[in-house]
Amino acid sequence: MSKIIKIGLPSKGRLKDESLKVFRKCNLSIKNSKRNYISEIKNFNPNEVIFSHAREIVERLADNSLDIGISGYDLLKESLPGIQKNIQVFSRLNFGFAVLVVAVPDAWIDVQTIADLEEISFEFKDKNIGKLRVATKYPNLTNNFLLSKGLTQYKIVNSLGSTEIYPFTDQSEIITDITSTGSTLKANKLRILKDGDFLKSSACILIAKKSLKDKYKKTIIHKLLNKIKKTPENEF
Amino acid sequence: MKLKKYSEALLNIFKKKGFQVKEFENIIESKIIIERSGEIFKKSLLSFEDDNGKNFSLRPDLTISACLDYIKNVKKGVYKYAYFDQAYRRTFGKKSLVRNQLGCEIIGSSNLQLNLEIINLIDESLKKVTKNKTTIKLNDINIFYSLVDSLKLPLRWRLRLKRHFWRPEYFNALISRLSSNSDIQKNVFEIDKNSYFKMKKLNQTGKVSGRKISEILNRFEKKIKEPRSNIDGKRVARIVSEFLKINCSFENAKSKLKKFEIKNNLNLKLDSFDIFNLKFKKNNIFLSTNIGRNAEYYTGLVFEIYKKSKNLSLASGGRYDNLMQTLGAKNKIPAIGGAINYDNLLKL
Repeated sequence: MSKIIKIGLPSKGRLKDESLKVFRKCNLSIKNSKRNYISEIKNFNPNEVIFSHAREIVERLADNSLDIGISGYDLLKESLPGIQKNIQVFSRLNFGFAVLVVAVPDAWIDVQTIADLEEISFEFKDKNIGKLRVATKYPNLTNNFLLSKGLTQYKIVNSLGSTEIYPFTDQSEIITDITSTGSTLKANKLRILKDGDFLKSSACILIAKKSLKDKYKKTIIHKLLNKIKKTPENEF
Repeated sequence: MKLKKYSEALLNIFKKKGFQVKEFENIIESKIIIERSGEIFKKSLLSFEDDNGKNFSLRPDLTISACLDYIKNVKKGVYKYAYFDQAYRRTFGKKSLVRNQLGCEIIGSSNLQLNLEIINLIDESLKKVTKNKTTIKLNDINIFYSLVDSLKLPLRWRLRLKRHFWRPEYFNALISRLSSNSDIQKNVFEIDKNSYFKMKKLNQTGKVSGRKISEILNRFEKKIKEPRSNIDGKRVARIVSEFLKINCSFENAKSKLKKFEIKNNLNLKLDSFDIFNLKFKKNNIFLSTNIGRNAEYYTGLVFEIYKKSKNLSLASGGRYDNLMQTLGAKNKIPAIGGAINYDNLLKL
């Protein structure tokens, strides 16, 4: 096995900035340029920092092309069970907070709970106008939640972005999406159901379980984690 | 070898009784299943996409395959199917993706005699082939629906209990919710009253995300008029739970249900159910109000044939008069069928 520890960090946005801060706070400096997706921690054992999409970090940890990484808890939980079983959550970080919610158009004033939604879904079925469509970037978590709440008559519409506009452009009737303050949903005339929040997410440090089976890598990973953990600013 | 012997013998008996032994297409368009059953079944399908983005699945169930065959090839009249083949799907808690399925279906008639024919055929064949004594459990799902209709419940709750009868775990959660009598919706309505009055002034045929404004307002009004806090949830939950424990000899079933009806001041309309007119030659037949909850498509009579001493279910089935239409038939085509519980035959 290679002696280089591979660290995956988000490649853009606040998640990237805050992740770099975690390392900076414990004097682990990572050279960072906008165009370069490969870097390293200078004052540490041999390592490689790879900037990737947060979703990819989860997948690369699972196939062990990364040893450790920072990504969203929501993305980990959305991944398939076969991926999740290969990854250990070391700790949640104090940024990237968001909640996964079910939202319906504001004007659906008769729909306040998932139980209401379940009735509406049968109205769609009985009128033979197809299934109630749920647009989401999180099909797995959405399915698990809706089915556990008794909703069965719906169809997932996979969305890659701007999910909030789906109900008003005839692409879906309702959505599930990640939100931190709810303001984007509100601005798009959507309302979160009373019992419609189903996953509290934040950024977290994830480790590939396979790397922990390698003695050398385990030692280096723990050395790195101890440095991060002992820095008071990195509240876990 | 034991299974092969059983299946060949059973299939031969079915054939002799006028059933056509059929082989079905291995691959079906996933849309047919998903449009019918929603996302809940999508997870179980073994699917793939072709070059045009069309999604196909290996056949997940042979009853569905028989229905699709009827729609495509038979189209009208009574057709008696028998089959022994493999179906492919993921099942929670089971490693194998392959399920051996042996069964028979009569599609195209709602004749009461056919109910009797299919139950007797499966029962007698099992007895003959396995040399074991069997017991039959019967139920009619509509008796439960009749119970729900005679309970003092808002319409939305009556529909909810009926819709989820086939999902025992979720059904029990609903019953717990009923008995806890918590009703948060009333407070929530206050907040939306302003929107309600604003929407009243809008064009009522206008739509918001697939729903007419008039529909939204009608449903809102109904909810205000029928708050659940007005009902005695605990009483309803007790009656439903007691009903689902009824398990008695078929001979005494009607009088037992009659007593239950009087005790709880209900009207189950028992005289309207054909099930009580079924005449069996054997005695060990029971009515069990809790069976037939494993498939969402049953619409009436359901049965289970089992070996009492080992508490093994050997076969089960029922009437599914609405399934064909949801799979693409233009008209309602009644049907009844049953399948052998293959795994349990091995345990005999």
